[in-house]
Amino acid sequence: MNQTQSIPLNDPFGKATNGKLGMWLFIIVDGLSFAGLLIAGGALRAGGAEWPAAGEVLNIPLTAFNTFLLICTSFTMVMALNAIQKGDQSGLSKFLTYTMLGGILFLGIQAWEYYHFIFNDFVLTTSIYASVFYVTTCFHGLHVLSGVIYIACILRAANLGVYSADNWNNVEILGLFWHFVDLVWILVFTIIYLI
Amino acid sequence: MDDHKSIYIKNAVWLAVLTLLEVGVAFLSISRMGQIVLLFAFAATKMMMVAMIYMHLRYETKVLQWILFIPIPAGILFTIALMYDIPFSWVG
Repeated sequence: MNQTQSIPLNDPFGKATNGKLGMWLFIIVDGLSFAGLLIAGGALRAGGAEWPAAGEVLNIPLTAFNTFLLICTSFTMVMALNAIQKGDQSGLSKFLTYTMLGGILFLGIQAWEYYHFIFNDFVLTTSIYASVFYVTTCFHGLHVLSGVIYIACILRAANLGVYSADNWNNVEILGLFWHFVDLVWILVFTIIYLI
Repeated sequence: MDDHKSIYIKNAVWLAVLTLLEVGVAFLSISRMGQIVLLFAFAATKMMMVAMIYMHLRYETKVLQWILFIPIPAGILFTIALMYDIPFSWVG
């Protein structure tokens, strides 16, 4: 009997690499962390905590702009992947730089928003509503910060010419993380700011 | 490789339009429940657009798609379970 007979390959994940599957797994776990925070906020609100109407405390036009900014960075991130898949290394560096700058601007606007709230005595301990707002948006902000650092690392490698039309898996994995940050913000913006 | 640039641009434009509509709905004088349903519908649409087009989920296998989508109804179930006792606190 031939001991080296190969087992028929029936890969349920297709061409997805281990790194990509690892990132998807991380996204599921991280998504559940955000779900925990949002569900807790919803439960506290339904339980009778004092909750201001949309726009009464939070600056919706400014945050809507921030949401638009994050959408733009998702676009530039996917364009970075599109560029390197075609072997365009300068395009990769250019779009990664745009994405990183967009992320930094997002954080800057969020910091500016926090500064004004703190100046007006709307701090973490003001109310349950304030706690839910700060904890959820801070948790997201840390993700954006992590994403910016992650982009900076990949950008450095891109500038050294590491990536090419045959080697772009790390850029795709970075893209998954960044799009997830955008995807979660869509839900945070809707639940914390608009509802 | 196909150039998906135009799809990515259209997706970004639609995401921006849906964000504007969301902000509009938040200030619309309709019933509270109608507002919540509309806002969640817009958010779910936007999230699907990001996942399917920008994260290329539509090109992944069905198994991976199921693994990612199954936690969503589970989350809704947990929310309902968590809020089950809230009406009792209103009475008390």
